[in-house]
Amino acid sequence: MVYQSQKVAYPYFALALLLFLLQIVLGLWLAINYFTTLPQGLVNVFPFSTARAMHTNLLVLWLLLGFMGGTYYLLPDETKSEIYSPKLAYLLFVIFALTGVVALVGFLFGWNQGKPLLEIPTPLDIVVVIGVLLFLYNVAMTMIQAKRWTAIQACLLGGLIFLAVLYLFGIPFYQNLTIDWYYWWWVIHLWVEGAWELVAASIFAWVLIKITGVERQVVEKWLYVEIGLFLFTGIAGTGHHYYWLGAPRYWLWVGGIFSALEPLPILLMVIDTMRHVKERKVEIKNRLVWTYAIGGAFYHLLGAGLWGFAHTLPQVNYYTHGSQVTVSHGHLAFFGAYAMLNLMVFYFAMPRLRGMEEHAEGRGKFAFWTMVSAMFCLGLAFGVAGVVQSYLERVLGFGYMATQEQMRLWFAIAFFCGLGFLVGAVVTVYDLLFPKPALRAVPTR
Amino acid sequence: MALTQKGAKSILWLGTLSSLILFLILTVDTHRQVKVLTKAENLTDQVVQGKRVWQKYNCNDCHTILGFGGYYAPDMTKVYKRIGQEGIRQVVKKPDVVLASSWRKMPQQNLQDKEVDNLIAFFKWVSEIDTNDWPPQDSGKLPPSAIRRLMASASAGPGGALFKEKGCFSCHKIGGVGGDMGPSMEGVGKKYEIGQLAQYIRDPTSVNPKSNMPKMSDLTPEQAQQIAQFLMGLK
Repeated sequence: MVYQSQKVAYPYFALALLLFLLQIVLGLWLAINYFTTLPQGLVNVFPFSTARAMHTNLLVLWLLLGFMGGTYYLLPDETKSEIYSPKLAYLLFVIFALTGVVALVGFLFGWNQGKPLLEIPTPLDIVVVIGVLLFLYNVAMTMIQAKRWTAIQACLLGGLIFLAVLYLFGIPFYQNLTIDWYYWWWVIHLWVEGAWELVAASIFAWVLIKITGVERQVVEKWLYVEIGLFLFTGIAGTGHHYYWLGAPRYWLWVGGIFSALEPLPILLMVIDTMRHVKERKVEIKNRLVWTYAIGGAFYHLLGAGLWGFAHTLPQVNYYTHGSQVTVSHGHLAFFGAYAMLNLMVFYFAMPRLRGMEEHAEGRGKFAFWTMVSAMFCLGLAFGVAGVVQSYLERVLGFGYMATQEQMRLWFAIAFFCGLGFLVGAVVTVYDLLFPKPALRAVPTR
Repeated sequence: MALTQKGAKSILWLGTLSSLILFLILTVDTHRQVKVLTKAENLTDQVVQGKRVWQKYNCNDCHTILGFGGYYAPDMTKVYKRIGQEGIRQVVKKPDVVLASSWRKMPQQNLQDKEVDNLIAFFKWVSEIDTNDWPPQDSGKLPPSAIRRLMASASAGPGGALFKEKGCFSCHKIGGVGGDMGPSMEGVGKKYEIGQLAQYIRDPTSVNPKSNMPKMSDLTPEQAQQIAQFLMGLK
């Protein structure tokens, strides 16, 4: 580590990891809700809805903390200068952490604006907006003062600003439910298939340059193409959420065509990663970072690309919309595209932040494979439940609960997959917080 | 590949801007058309208040509406057409009683009567949104094939048609089809006389004081009689 201010990333990473674990615990609780009968008294005070709000908000919070930490970590290296104000970065960390705690405790007491994934009430929204503006200020000032512009910086800053602007569309109260959902997707879809892809692709490009030693010009060139394709397919692809909400029929065409192309940029990213890895100019150290980079690229293609494509065409989506098929896709996509990317950054940065050039990889490797396979089984279990639901409820016309009865077994299976995932995640978090130095230090060339 | 840095940059700008411009134009047009598609002239203050109730109790993190939200409980898009205002009122006011035999529960959130009225107005408005005929299970054009088969095979007659049309299947099962909120209708003809059944349909508690079924008071006595006749055939 060359730059002192990279240290500000550490608390962001550490908190993100703890929230990640809490998210999984709540996920297991949701699975229990799905296949057992809970007493009415418990349902009255801690309903599924509250636990779901916590599960999803924890996801968003830990991923965003990871992105912010990642930004602070790569920025000094990329700009060749210290962070503009490390103090502000620490202060914002405290603000975001407190906002998160207040939001989660608030949910338990029904302090909630009742919009899925965007449940936090307006006063907290305002705190988040101010916090994000200050974060952007800190990032932009670092870049401006350094006077050293790179494509990675530009894409990263562009992605972060895009992310912040989109958040605003989720704040107002919309009278018309159709319009409400129309703009809800500006936050959710344009985040995960727009702004977040920009941020993730920039961070990923930076890590690739670091670990492969491939020329910057080559990586940056493909970064442009990937982002161009991500945004080309992703922006108009928002239409695949507008099929059934009371919007004009042309969205069936626009959404269908653009979103059918959405796997392309991800495929390009996979090919690109493999090529850079093959043409690497540095020897492989800290193999786990590599494992996460390559694994993440493939999982991204599987969860977001293929699973998304599977139900994005209107002819299919008519029957699968709002079923467990979406749940299956959601889990595989978020894990593959964003959780694994963050874990890759953590594996790159956290041992270094503790002054460890190389770390032992045994535990981390076990945890990686445990999580990857458990999440795959979880996706399959939800997927089977979703297909059963689509057929029985939407094609044959079974009642909602009569259908759920037939899906019950798959929810129980999902629970056990989740337990497996928790084991992998606990080991990962432990391994990252308390990394073990590599037994035999390889002499650096 | 002989792609230059400049070429890559133009892909970025061309891709982004073309998609963005298309998207923004369609957004403007959607705003224009949504007024018609959602019958915005019926979007009264009461409907808006109902939407606030929907959000206040975070209903959407268990239920879906327009297919969005939690997947833990039934979709609410067509709930007004499926179980009617009395059905909605019963479930919201007494979830513990109505869902007593269900293995999945709904929280008792102690809504005021006014809030329930507003919520019903909201659901009524939502049920009129033109959703391109989604969801399929509530589509008029595509009656679920199992019910279609049942209706075609049995000498269901006008009573059977009414049974389906008035949404009785959303709570009662016949031949494995239908909801779980009320008892199965198979063998009900053995339990009651035809007159009692007709009476039960229009005013449940007058026959069975413990019944949680909503009053089907929008049915005429003749229609209730026809449904009762259909049910008598199921013994």
